[in-house]
Amino acid sequence: MVDARDGGHDRTMFFDIVLALTIGCIAFILNRGWLGARGWGLLLLPVAMAAAVMAGGAKGLIPAELSLAVLAIVFAPKLAARLVPFGVLGLAVFGLQLAKMYRDGFTNPVHYLFIHAAPGAGARAALIEAGVLFGIGLWLLLRLDAELVGSLAARWRARRTGGISALHGLLLIPVVGLVMLLLGPGNWFGFQAFDGLDAALADLAMATAALVLIFRSRAWAATLAAAGLLVLGAYGWVIAVFWPAVPGFAYGFSDLHNNLVPAPLWSDALQGSVLLAAGLWLAPRVMGGHLAPHPDPELAARARQLTQRVQLLTKTRHDAVDTAAAELRRIERDLHDGAQARLVALGMSLRAAERMFATNPEAALALVAEARETSSRALTDLRDLVRGIYPPVLADRGLADAVRALALDTPLHTELDIDLGHEVELPVGAAVYFAVAEVLANAVRHSGARTVRIRLGHSGGMLRAEITDDGAGGADPAQGTGLAGVERRLATFDGILALSSPPGGPTIVVIEVPCALSSAKTSSS
Amino acid sequence: MRVVIGEDLFLLREGLVKLLSAHGFEIVAAVATAPELLAALVAERPDVGIVDVRLPPTHTDDGLRAALQARQQIPGLPVLVLSQYVEQLYARELLADQAGGVGYLLKDRVFNDDQFTGAIRTVAAGGTVLDPEVVAKLMSRRARDAPVARLTPREREVLALMAEGRSNAAIAQRLFVTEKAVSKHAAGIFAKLDLALSEDDNRRVLAVLAYLESLWP
Repeated sequence: MVDARDGGHDRTMFFDIVLALTIGCIAFILNRGWLGARGWGLLLLPVAMAAAVMAGGAKGLIPAELSLAVLAIVFAPKLAARLVPFGVLGLAVFGLQLAKMYRDGFTNPVHYLFIHAAPGAGARAALIEAGVLFGIGLWLLLRLDAELVGSLAARWRARRTGGISALHGLLLIPVVGLVMLLLGPGNWFGFQAFDGLDAALADLAMATAALVLIFRSRAWAATLAAAGLLVLGAYGWVIAVFWPAVPGFAYGFSDLHNNLVPAPLWSDALQGSVLLAAGLWLAPRVMGGHLAPHPDPELAARARQLTQRVQLLTKTRHDAVDTAAAELRRIERDLHDGAQARLVALGMSLRAAERMFATNPEAALALVAEARETSSRALTDLRDLVRGIYPPVLADRGLADAVRALALDTPLHTELDIDLGHEVELPVGAAVYFAVAEVLANAVRHSGARTVRIRLGHSGGMLRAEITDDGAGGADPAQGTGLAGVERRLATFDGILALSSPPGGPTIVVIEVPCALSSAKTSSS
Repeated sequence: MRVVIGEDLFLLREGLVKLLSAHGFEIVAAVATAPELLAALVAERPDVGIVDVRLPPTHTDDGLRAALQARQQIPGLPVLVLSQYVEQLYARELLADQAGGVGYLLKDRVFNDDQFTGAIRTVAAGGTVLDPEVVAKLMSRRARDAPVARLTPREREVLALMAEGRSNAAIAQRLFVTEKAVSKHAAGIFAKLDLALSEDDNRRVLAVLAYLESLWP
């Protein structure tokens, strides 16, 4: 520990201003969200600055620490952000220790962030500032290290399952006990005004708070215990490394009672290590549960899958709605221009014939014959329309026979290999039927094929249709809207259409739709 | 001539009853469901049954199934099947037993009552009547084959009409030629397709259909 130098008042004022400005700037950046979560790493700068000034501002220390902080911020921003809470907590612990040192006879004033601590009132101000820093440090720990703690927890959970047990929460009792011994009111406030009853009451309050926490929220008690173990452990090492020779440091079993004889270095380091190890063991077990949003890698993978699935479903649903709307529009237009128009003509012919029967029976007869023709054409229109909406043979007989009927209707020679056994759900059946129909129509129109082979089967929960023609090949799925429409319709059922058509042929189209077969179609007669 | 009618739509059923009564047919039963139809066909043994493909209870192809079942129990029972649409698949099933006495027509054909009653009489006499739409598809399948390609357009017309089940007289009337000319065309067709010529109308239809059908899978 190095004291602030005489005549260094201006310098410390300067550092106070720089520190305040730095923190202000960082707060502004974080508020604007310019650097995202990584912006938190910038806080390492004021922490490093404060630590260096506290250590007395020895030559080169401030630039060295600042350089390290900048390096961390630039090259390992995530790590920097994670170090910040520990840095703040370290400063807080140091504040408490500082106050204790003054009580135990330390006399040099120390620049502790914004205050100039000294025996008496300055020591008490350091105590308050340390309390504030503790609050900030804990808040930052929960805020910034949730991810780190979460991933550690996930790694641990892979090996060991199980939640936070009561035992983990109970660990808070020794931790609080240790804190009370080291830094508690019995030590801190006891030196002047709070001796005796007050100190006992303060200890009692702390213990009660700890017990209440253990019973009310096991998870938070355990978390706090883990954080306490980590901070206390780190503190042991800080003492061992930086202030081994300063009298008055009490740490664990080393020197609890104002002994002016320095404790051996290995004692602090050993205790610090034990506490650190305990904290590291406990932290991942208890903190992940309520800090990490997706601690389990399996859960995270599942969440990703579900997200993709939702995106796909959103798209296919959109397509399905579009297709259905276009289909309705087409049906409306067909009815309007076809059957409806013919029925109007029919009515007009009949009306004209009605008038002519008396005067010109022959012309009237001709009109009636014309009306009959028109009604026949209206029926043909309607028949074609119905086929396009839902082929009657599909409704009557199901997919297998509907594909057989398709094969019979195509002018190409067909070889059929149909093995379904059971019936396919109606909507899936219709999608596959129209897909096969479109592929066959393409084969007739474009390929110049003479023979087409249709295989229809079901295996492993997949309905599969394979249509091979012996035509010229070179079919381009990008051309024409027919196959694209078929693909969209199949996609609604998670189905796919694959086309292989090298120049010279053969053209092979494979349609696959996941689907469960229903039980065999019940016979009606 | 005794007729059984199976048609579920009241208007069409009554229309058929009136039309056929007016042409001197005797309607022995007019029913609305497939089970009733089967029972009526088997019990009444009519000269011809007129059957709608789509009937209750399932409103799919119950009528067709009932007709096929009745023909299983009474081989050769003449049946004329009517439908809003024609499928070669169903035509094939009806023709499969090769017993004759089968008709398969679009419902629209009822509009032309002369042709319709003519078709009923042909079926009742054990003949075969197929809707022009079915025949057109059959012809289009064979159109690229060498023997059919060798036919003249007129011969192809005659072939189609023969496949529909029309007699020489009917074909002559339809094409505005003499019966003798039709006979000549028929002989030419049978020679080119390498079929044995038969003067019997029924056997001729079956021969033509068997030829056209040979490529049916």
